[in-house]
Amino acid sequence: MNDYKTTIGIEVHCELKTNSKMFSDSINNYGGVANVNINEVDFALPGTLPCMNEYGIELGLKAALALNCEINKKVVFDRKNYFYPDLPKGYQITQARNPIGVNGYVEIEVDGVKKKIGIHDIHIEEDTCKSTHAETKSYLDFNRNGVPLIEIVSEPDMSNEKEAMAYLEKLRELLLYTNVSDCKMEEGSMRCDVNVSVSKTDKLGTRTETKNIGSISSVGRAILAEAKRQIEELEAGREILEETRRFDEKKDCTILMRVKETGNDYRYFPEPNLPPYTLEDSFINRVKENMEVLPDVRRKTYLDAGIHPVNVEKIIANKEISDYLLGLNCNLVIASNLLLGEISAYLNKTEKKLEETKLSKEKFTVLVNKLDSKEINNQIFKEIVDTLMETEEDINKLVENQKANALSETDLTNIVEKLILENPESVEDYKQGKDRAIKYLMGQIMKETRGKADPALANQLLLQKLSEQ
Amino acid sequence: MDKLTKEEVLHVAHLARIKVTDDEIEKYQVDLKKLLDDVDKIKDIEVESSELLVTPVEHESILRNDQDTRSVDFNEIKKNVPATTGNFVEVPVMVNE
Repeated sequence: MNDYKTTIGIEVHCELKTNSKMFSDSINNYGGVANVNINEVDFALPGTLPCMNEYGIELGLKAALALNCEINKKVVFDRKNYFYPDLPKGYQITQARNPIGVNGYVEIEVDGVKKKIGIHDIHIEEDTCKSTHAETKSYLDFNRNGVPLIEIVSEPDMSNEKEAMAYLEKLRELLLYTNVSDCKMEEGSMRCDVNVSVSKTDKLGTRTETKNIGSISSVGRAILAEAKRQIEELEAGREILEETRRFDEKKDCTILMRVKETGNDYRYFPEPNLPPYTLEDSFINRVKENMEVLPDVRRKTYLDAGIHPVNVEKIIANKEISDYLLGLNCNLVIASNLLLGEISAYLNKTEKKLEETKLSKEKFTVLVNKLDSKEINNQIFKEIVDTLMETEEDINKLVENQKANALSETDLTNIVEKLILENPESVEDYKQGKDRAIKYLMGQIMKETRGKADPALANQLLLQKLSEQ
Repeated sequence: MDKLTKEEVLHVAHLARIKVTDDEIEKYQVDLKKLLDDVDKIKDIEVESSELLVTPVEHESILRNDQDTRSVDFNEIKKNVPATTGNFVEVPVMVNE
């Protein structure tokens, strides 16, 4: 069974973060009350005409650039004809012949091995309406009808489920960081169709398409299930048919769907209602120049700054923190530790976003510099973090107050000496090499100082005084 | 071939989602063939050397500002749809599989 090679290609649909729809001027927002963000264009009433959304074109272009594609400067659309109530026009406007981007790639890494996955093309199109099926009727909500989409078609460059999942994670990350799409698979703003084939030779086997898989991890499971099914079919002497399937999450297998139109049945032809639009070089350059710093560039910056790889991934997974770190001119290791540690804890506790706090980048930089130069220690930082987040109070003053409030080294030394005298049995334990003695005494120091002692300094003083006993 | 096969007619009928009777099939086998023959005349035109014409309109598309939006009340739309339930448009069940 193991001498079969699996080949995987993926089609991803992502909704663009525009304000209005792709070819109609109704609002791009769905999921609430049905049929409120609609107008005559969405319902294809006689006399209505489509019109290209400038920002939709811009986001499609941006995605194509982020995926290293060659750009087709002439933007033209085609009609994909099919008769189904989810599109009142009777056709979907898409880019069949001249996709906005072609021949791109993304780089993935699986188990430390890097690999380029080719992007065949990326094209702009419109979404269909949302249908809910009951026993004898279907109910249609046209809020989603006409929402701008990009479809990203990969080359069949992936050979196992891990590569497929890494590819999807990478796409999602790129589209999130470039603000092209919010890529929420659970809400359907990112959807995947997976093409799978198996073969014992270099000649590709017949592929099947598994549609609309609900999460990246399910894509992995669907690929394993479908490859297994195909191998079993072939081993039993049966043929694989080119068909459309869906993934059953509960049964962990793929199921045949009714065959819809394919290929020529769609009768593609140029959309005559939309004259072509030529992308000016100045437009393309503006999009390039305003492109957000891409995740892999950020990764490199963080790693070069000495941030631990585990923390680098935590930062990349949290776009808010990653954006905040951009352009900060201070010790990034300290900065990232604060952001991932106490500051994240504060944000979670208060359910706030960083931008909703009073922690300006300037204030944060001063704070990091003070920690970096050891002017303050972590203990003082912890004491003032809430005030820093909630008030405009001057950081220098806060630090001064806190320091005046804090224990001097002499005070702390006195407390340590006092506790050693009061706890002879712990000193005895320590001499016999029992670790719990240190823990106990540290606990007593914290209790005595009501948590004001700097743990590192207290520990150092304690060990010093104990060794003198 | 002077007419389409029965299967071809049924396939076209399926794409248009219409039912056809046996008599109609026979009629369309001939009619559709005539139509196709007429359209085939276009093939005689030499097109290799010219660019695909998307539209006879000479000017380029004018792009729309994403911020300008306009919605229409569903009660207006309702007048042009066959049936509704609440805020939904109601159609015969569409079976996917």
